[in-house]
Amino acid sequence: MSVVKVMVVDDSFFSRTLIAETLRLGGCEVVGEADSFDSLLETYNNCKPDIVTMDIVMPGADGFECSRALLLNDPSAKIILVSSMKDEETELEAKRIGIVGYVQKPIDGDHLIKVIKNTLSPDSLYEQLIELGLETFNEALSQNITRMTKTPVTFVPMDTFETNYVSQGITTVIGIIGRHSGSMIIDLSTEAADKMVEVLLRRPSKSREEVLAMVAELANIVAGVACSMLNKKDKTYSLRVSPPSVFCSTNTEIASPNLKIQASYAQTTFGPIFLGIGFKKGATSWI
Amino acid sequence: MDITIINPLIASFTDILPQIGFSSVERRSISLVGSTLDYDGILVHISLVGVLKGAVLIGMSLDSAKLFASKMMMGMSVTEFDLLAQSAISEMGNMVCANACTQFSQVGITGLDISPPLLLIGRNGQATLPVPQTIAINFTVDSIDINVYVGLIQSK
Repeated sequence: MSVVKVMVVDDSFFSRTLIAETLRLGGCEVVGEADSFDSLLETYNNCKPDIVTMDIVMPGADGFECSRALLLNDPSAKIILVSSMKDEETELEAKRIGIVGYVQKPIDGDHLIKVIKNTLSPDSLYEQLIELGLETFNEALSQNITRMTKTPVTFVPMDTFETNYVSQGITTVIGIIGRHSGSMIIDLSTEAADKMVEVLLRRPSKSREEVLAMVAELANIVAGVACSMLNKKDKTYSLRVSPPSVFCSTNTEIASPNLKIQASYAQTTFGPIFLGIGFKKGATSWI
Repeated sequence: MDITIINPLIASFTDILPQIGFSSVERRSISLVGSTLDYDGILVHISLVGVLKGAVLIGMSLDSAKLFASKMMMGMSVTEFDLLAQSAISEMGNMVCANACTQFSQVGITGLDISPPLLLIGRNGQATLPVPQTIAINFTVDSIDINVYVGLIQSK
């Protein structure tokens, strides 16, 4: 690995000096220091570090506020909290914001360097999740449609949707949390949903609510089954799903500007079903 | 749904927005609506999972979204609701909901986690949240009209 460039954010001159010295001894280059929110963005944009170490308790804006500002300025910023505070809720808040690691003060130099290396090295579990994710969700969708309606399903892969996807009529969104949080999108036309309800209930749908409930339940089952399959591959994924939200509108665009979505089209007897799945790399260095 | 459940979310909204460039956050109204609501413009969707589960939607008109993104980007002109503007609004949703989870923990509701934000942009749409009732909160943020819909239930 080439020399890692680090920026240190801490209001204490002594702490900055100590962290900077620890980093230098560990083979890193300290390219910038900031003592408060005021000089944060300018320093970051000037020195373009690979890693930022961030104190939590600072006068004025705290480490979380500074981290939000940095991530808003550069969503790919890699921030490691370095603080004497370390409790479950502070860790959770850091993860939710998008902070990648957490090291407790007083700093153990070897530990800090290990966290930095982990942050910058490829995350094999995440890569496995990305490799298996869409395939697993495809399998769960296919299995369930085939079981429920006794009709075949084939898939046409789509490139990751770089531009926004336009809904066919009914969109279901399910949030996923766990080692890597994510989102699943299932989208189909109202006609396709109507036809599917007719096959499942052996009668035409009586109401729009009935159709939406079927679509929500299908998405719920697909997400639950797929996440269980992924958790079986590696239990540390610990994926859990939210209940489904359903959106109805033709011409609604669905955008995921901060999360890469992989997608496929399931070709079914009822019409095409769009399936999109994305996972956030997120926190990987909570050791 | 116990309406006080939304207090941490309101607190988060009023805490976070001044940090990202807004000077006035005014809560205009709170109402209880059903599980289905109409939207016209943009919606940021974020799921919550934990002892509470469900979703939060942050909605505004497309023109408001451009204005909002412009304010977040320190007054940069936003004539199209492009990727940068979409990213800014999504990030705002993430920040508000992430901070809301922290506010929830301060009232004893710990361990909540959120999914990444998804953005829906459309006209005359309907959203159905996975709860019997949704709380709708209307805010005026620097003259921009914003609706926040909270659909949360206790996990079994």
